[in-house]
Amino acid sequence: MMAYSEDHIALAAEYALGTLDADERAQVEAMMSADKDFTAMVEAWEHKLSVLNQMVGSVEPRPQVWDKIKTAAGLSEPQAPLALPDPPPVAAEVMEAFAAADTSNVIRLSTQARRWRNVATLTTAIAAALVAMIAVGVYQPDLLPERIRPTPRTQIVEVKTAPSAPTPSAQYVAVLQKEGGSPAFILTVDGATRNFTVRKVDAAAGPGKSFELWLISDRLGPPRSLGVIGEGDFTARPTLASYDANIVNAATYAVTVEQAGGSPNGRPTSAPVFAGKLIESVPPAAAPAPSPSR
Amino acid sequence: MLTPAELVWLIAAVAKGDEAAFERLYAATRAKLFGVVLRILRRQDLAEEVIQETYVRIWNSAGQFNPGLSSPITWMVSIARNRAIDVVRKRSEVSIEEEPAAMEVAADSPDPLARREMTEELKRLLECVGRLEPDRQKLVLLAYYNGWSREQLAAKFETPVNTVKTWLRRSMMDIRECLGL
Repeated sequence: MMAYSEDHIALAAEYALGTLDADERAQVEAMMSADKDFTAMVEAWEHKLSVLNQMVGSVEPRPQVWDKIKTAAGLSEPQAPLALPDPPPVAAEVMEAFAAADTSNVIRLSTQARRWRNVATLTTAIAAALVAMIAVGVYQPDLLPERIRPTPRTQIVEVKTAPSAPTPSAQYVAVLQKEGGSPAFILTVDGATRNFTVRKVDAAAGPGKSFELWLISDRLGPPRSLGVIGEGDFTARPTLASYDANIVNAATYAVTVEQAGGSPNGRPTSAPVFAGKLIESVPPAAAPAPSPSR
Repeated sequence: MLTPAELVWLIAAVAKGDEAAFERLYAATRAKLFGVVLRILRRQDLAEEVIQETYVRIWNSAGQFNPGLSSPITWMVSIARNRAIDVVRKRSEVSIEEEPAAMEVAADSPDPLARREMTEELKRLLECVGRLEPDRQKLVLLAYYNGWSREQLAAKFETPVNTVKTWLRRSMMDIRECLGL
């Protein structure tokens, strides 16, 4: 462990003790996300002090708390119902891009990426199947293989965002998912304008923190910030418009937890907690007037 | 209460998505965690929200628990306690007037329940805390058990905030030296 100044040691100790104000706590958390040794020091203090809790009496919470936990953790929801073939790993560039930052989450990320990819692949399969059915003008669910009959879970319904523009253009969607849970963010990009919308599904950055969205492309080098994701359910931004369409389509989109207002230096200060790639969810003009080509 | 080894095993199972293990882990630890956060938040509804968030976080990040660095209950209590303190800090920024009433209710010393559980580690820490001047012993324990801010401690000890800040810092450094951290 590297040597820390007395100020740092005192900050770690007071964080564990609990006497810092909200700003200082956010500062410590930012330092922890960027510095493993500092994290270890804070945790050592937490460990030393936590024996004091042996003297705190136990109190039973009400039974409905458990129900709320189950719902919030997504326990009652079924896991991915289909076993699709293993998709190729997609997180390699994410790992490289974040190699300089704390990488303790990154191993988890490849699993996350694989999982959202499964969802994404499934979504594409269902969308393609639906387009095909409309094209032949026959609705015969029986023709569909049992496995991809359109009985999508809620999260898949969320993904199929209808285009809002009067002239429908291709819509791209990325599911930014957290391991073991439902999607945290759904990123939709309008193919024509490249305006994007981030819909917050289930995520909280925590007090004094912001989620920041990054574009990662092997052609651009370090991750590029697409801005802080707002507090509301939807955040719409034009910031992708300046990027080349090929980059936008092939990039990985990642969300990190940053200090309130975003990373101070334009670079991520922590490993991504959610990541995903764009897939085409609504082909051009497919929604209102299905093309017979498929 | 399960043994630490059993809790480690349960957390490992939770990390793999084992819902039954998660339920057992909750059953084994909820009352302790709730007791800790209720003491800090002093409101049933807020404490329940914090417990809910804590267990969702445990479910999502069980894979990050490292039994080599921390004990299961310490890891879980730290998540709960940090969240509770974040909540009270945010609240006291909004309305500091609510706090004096809460302070009247607050006990001056830690709950003497469950003293029988006192371990060697706790005895050692208390020995170090006990070497501080009496006022500072109280300061540290009130801060830890009740989650009080420097401002609340300053009001309680009728001392400027900056003095409390110095006392806290000095006390933690003394404890550090005593524990050999």
